[in-house]
Amino acid sequence: MIWEVFRQNQAGDYHTHCGNVHAPDREMALLFAEVQHGRRKPTNSLWVVPQDEIGEVDAEETKFGGTTDKSYRFARTYNVEPAAEEVEASEKELNQAERKRGDA
Amino acid sequence: MAATDDAEFASVDDLDEETEAAVQDLLFRLADDELVLAERYTEWQVRAPTLESDISLANIAQDELGHARLWYEVLTDFGYDETDLIWERDADDFQHSTLVEQPFEEGNWSDAIVRGYLYDVAEDAKLQALETSTFAPIRDRVGKVLGEEDYHLEFAENWLKRLAANDESRERIQAAVDRLYPYALTLFEPTNEDVEQTIVDEGLRGEDLVELRDTWHDRVSSFLESIGIEVPGLDLPDQYDVHSSPNDLPDKTGRDGDHTEHWAPLLDEMTEAYDELERDYATHIMDDE
Repeated sequence: MIWEVFRQNQAGDYHTHCGNVHAPDREMALLFAEVQHGRRKPTNSLWVVPQDEIGEVDAEETKFGGTTDKSYRFARTYNVEPAAEEVEASEKELNQAERKRGDA
Repeated sequence: MAATDDAEFASVDDLDEETEAAVQDLLFRLADDELVLAERYTEWQVRAPTLESDISLANIAQDELGHARLWYEVLTDFGYDETDLIWERDADDFQHSTLVEQPFEEGNWSDAIVRGYLYDVAEDAKLQALETSTFAPIRDRVGKVLGEEDYHLEFAENWLKRLAANDESRERIQAAVDRLYPYALTLFEPTNEDVEQTIVDEGLRGEDLVELRDTWHDRVSSFLESIGIEVPGLDLPDQYDVHSSPNDLPDKTGRDGDHTEHWAPLLDEMTEAYDELERDYATHIMDDE
C-alpha cells in the first residue's frame, strides 16, 4: 500500500507533498516517512495519506480558471506608485494566466 | 561542559585510580556494544524486506554509531585516541556483549528485529540509570542518546506486533528469542565484581546490573507475552555474592574480552581497509561537534 507524504518545514507553513512510502498501515507509514522524508530536511510535521484517498482533477478534464477573460479576478486597477507587492504579484499571475490561455 | 554543579566528578581529573578504572570499564562496555551492533546492522543494507525498512534500519545503525562516538569521545579524555579505541585494538580487548556480535541467520528478518528489541530495551534501562551518574561527562550525554532510542523501540515493537499476527513469522520470532535470549543476558554481566561494586558505590550508574536486568526482563517478557511469544524465566543460582549470573548464560559473555568465534572475523572485516592502506591514523571527514 502506498502512502503519500506531506512535509511541513516549520509551524504555520503548508504541508507540501514530498514523495511517498510503501507501508501496510498508517502507523508504519508514519514510522517510515519519519526516516525517509524527515531525516535530512528541516521538518516540523509530516502527514501520510493513503494514495487511494486522494481525489484528482487535472488540466485534461477541465479548464482551470475558465476560457474567457476574467481579469477582474486580479488586482490591477490601483494607480499607486510604487505598487504594493501584493498588486505586483497579482499582475504577474494575471499575465501568466493570459499566456496560458493563449490571450497574450 | 554544562550542568556539572551537583556532580561528584566533574571531569577525569577528579577521579581516583580505582574510580577511573571503573568509569573506563563502564564506557568501554557502552561504546563497544553500540559499535558492534551498528556494524552488524549494516549487513542488512540492500537486503531488508522493503526499501523503507532498509532505510530505517540503516538510520538506526547510524544512530548507534553516533552513540558509540559519544562514549568513545569521553574515553579520549583518558588519553586514548581513535586508533587505540577501534582500529588497532586487539579483538580480545573489546568488551561488548556477545549478543551484538552474533551473525544474523541468513535472510532472517525476525533475527534482526528481535535482537534490536532485546538490545534497545536494555539500552533504554541502562541510559535511564545513567541520568543520575556522578560522572558529569557521562550524565551530560545521556539525553542525546535517549532522544534517539524511542524510534528504535517503536520500530522494533511495531514490527514484532505485525510479525506475530502470522503463524509462520511468529514461529520465527519465537526461534529468534530462544536463540538470542541467553546472549541478551550477557548485556547485564559485569567485567568483574569488584569493578561493578565500584560503579555502584560511587554512583557512576544509578542502578546495579541485577536491578537493570530485572527491569529489562519485566518489560521484555510482558510485551513479548502480549503478542504470543514465550520468554524464558530468569534462572538464577541459589547462592550468590555481589552479582548473580543466570544459569543459562552462554559460555562467552564478551565482557571480559572472551568472545565467540564470530567476533574476530567481524573485526577483521571492519578494519580491513584501514589495515590494507597501512594507516596509522583515523580519517575524519567531519569535524567533531
